[in-house]
Amino acid sequence: VDSLRHLIDGFGVALQPLNVALALGGVLVGTFVGMLPGIGPINAIAILIPVTFATGMEPESALILLVGIYYGSQYGNSISTILLNVPGTASAVVTALDGHTMTKQGRGGPALAMSAIASFVGGTFSIFALVLFAPVLAGWAIRFGPAEYFALMVFAFSALSSFAGGSLVRGLAATAFGLWLATIGLDPNSAVPRYTFGQIQLLDGMDFVVVTIGLFAVSEVFHLLEDTGKGTEVASSYGRVMISAKELATTGWTMVRSSVMGFLVGVLPGAGGTIASFLAYSTEERIAGPDGRFGDGDIRGVAAPEAANNAAANGAMIPLLTLGVPGSGTTAVLLGALLGLGITPGPLLIQEEPDLFWGLAASMYLGNIFLLLLNLPLVGFFIRALTLPRWFLIPGVAALAFVAVYAVNGSSFDLALMTGFGLVGYLMRKLDFPLAPVVLGLVLGPLMEKHLRRAMALSGGDAGVLFDSPIAITLWGLALVSLAAPMALRRWTKDVVEDVQSSVPDGVPDDL
Amino acid sequence: MNTAARAPGLVLIAAGVACGVEAMTFNVAFLTDPVGPKALPLLVSAILIGAGIHATARPASDGTWIGSSAFPRVGSAVAAFLLYAVALPWVGFFLSTTAVVSTLSRLFGATLRQAVPAAAALSGVLWLIFVLGLGLPLPIGDLWIR
Repeated sequence: VDSLRHLIDGFGVALQPLNVALALGGVLVGTFVGMLPGIGPINAIAILIPVTFATGMEPESALILLVGIYYGSQYGNSISTILLNVPGTASAVVTALDGHTMTKQGRGGPALAMSAIASFVGGTFSIFALVLFAPVLAGWAIRFGPAEYFALMVFAFSALSSFAGGSLVRGLAATAFGLWLATIGLDPNSAVPRYTFGQIQLLDGMDFVVVTIGLFAVSEVFHLLEDTGKGTEVASSYGRVMISAKELATTGWTMVRSSVMGFLVGVLPGAGGTIASFLAYSTEERIAGPDGRFGDGDIRGVAAPEAANNAAANGAMIPLLTLGVPGSGTTAVLLGALLGLGITPGPLLIQEEPDLFWGLAASMYLGNIFLLLLNLPLVGFFIRALTLPRWFLIPGVAALAFVAVYAVNGSSFDLALMTGFGLVGYLMRKLDFPLAPVVLGLVLGPLMEKHLRRAMALSGGDAGVLFDSPIAITLWGLALVSLAAPMALRRWTKDVVEDVQSSVPDGVPDDL
Repeated sequence: MNTAARAPGLVLIAAGVACGVEAMTFNVAFLTDPVGPKALPLLVSAILIGAGIHATARPASDGTWIGSSAFPRVGSAVAAFLLYAVALPWVGFFLSTTAVVSTLSRLFGATLRQAVPAAAALSGVLWLIFVLGLGLPLPIGDLWIR
């Protein structure tokens, strides 16, 4: 009841004209970048962060825009997946199995409608759960001391390292690279310069916007240069974007189950929309048993992953906002944005910044309604964007990236740095290293070091303090479990992974 | 197993060692906290060396991607981006962005006739949005101011 009153206040914030416009703009940009293969939400968010800083937006307005891109992309990613068999983001890969098959059977319209409705169900359900559970978790996390935070961050790192790519060792190496980038600059505790090599530009440390745009956007441009033959994609006809009441009824429980599962997976660090969609799909396939026609155009095969990946995206907001500990590359970038706006997320955020938290939650309801209303009639418009020639689209994105990086410090040194990170990111892709842990390490590294040093200072140098409380021990245990979890997960989703590898041309991308 | 396949692992080991050696120089006159500025860098160094040894022993790729036919294009793009970073403060946003975007469009297979007008239009629109719309300063170019 208390939450309800706060939420009504939140709508007061979300319904301010600027915030309505930003939510609408955010979900439109999100739909767009979610749909276009190669331009993910992480790029769009990183590019818009300097803009929100420079225009002096209120933190809640900036967050409404940036988070709108984040969940909006989970709607858009299925459009290109269903129509072209080209997943917009990794979390839509599973949707291709039945979604694209439906298009080939001439049922593309119902598949698109199903995807929009399932996304809406997953999205609104998980905002409801967010509003319900975030205050509870915050009340509980207030007991966290530096040792517990340190253990929690180790958990986040180990989970993302083990889930992000195929190999745990390469994930750990990527995390270490990010942590190393985090140490560059003046050590805030002792004022010793670390890894600056006498360069004044490096004293302030690495800016996460420059690193993220370099690693993700610029390296993607280089990566796409390998395949310049691919140009305009031709979308198949898809008929009317409608779904019958009967079909909708058969997917009711699928959407509910997948939303719950997606939300729970989203709250956990490391796992995200991609894992949620694989889990939901394999679970529904098992529940359907021999009656199901999964892989052969079963509409539940569209409903399950789409409800799950939207629920997961919103679930991931809980640890970000109430603990200040993100579990993926994109939420790490959102944490960087919050810190840059002068907001420190944590257990006190909901009390200290009620406008921010409740305004954001309310605007997420609003954004999901926009997405549902826009997605059904505007599919044709979005598809036209898919037919833009690559020689126009990709250089355009690169130019936006340049402007954003330049806007961070007004320095063209950052552009050279960005190019360097682009090359590193390109090589990392080639060698199968995941990129998301680098960003998480860079954003979370300074906080992790701060908590470690605080804990050790309080205990007078006794490392035992790190394992002193039941909460800390539990978190260390979870960190260990997360290292083995991908193996169990692979066994459960084995069939789906094999199907995806054989039927989706680009296979399973590993960006989370 | 060829050297190309082992190179990434060796690079990781070298980076880890360099990172650790440099970390040993982070000395503080009096210790402000028991952990100090060395701990995290040394942890990073250890992980990198460990991952490097693993990657050298069991390389993930066979190294055949080296020498891909895309390398000249990727190399040209890298060069164009670096040149852009140097040229931007000198010749200003409009000209340098038009140049780098049309170069990139060419690399993606556009003809000169398609690439240059599109790049110029894009640079102009970006200037309007960011400088006039959002009030973000973009360089005009030192060359023209003097």
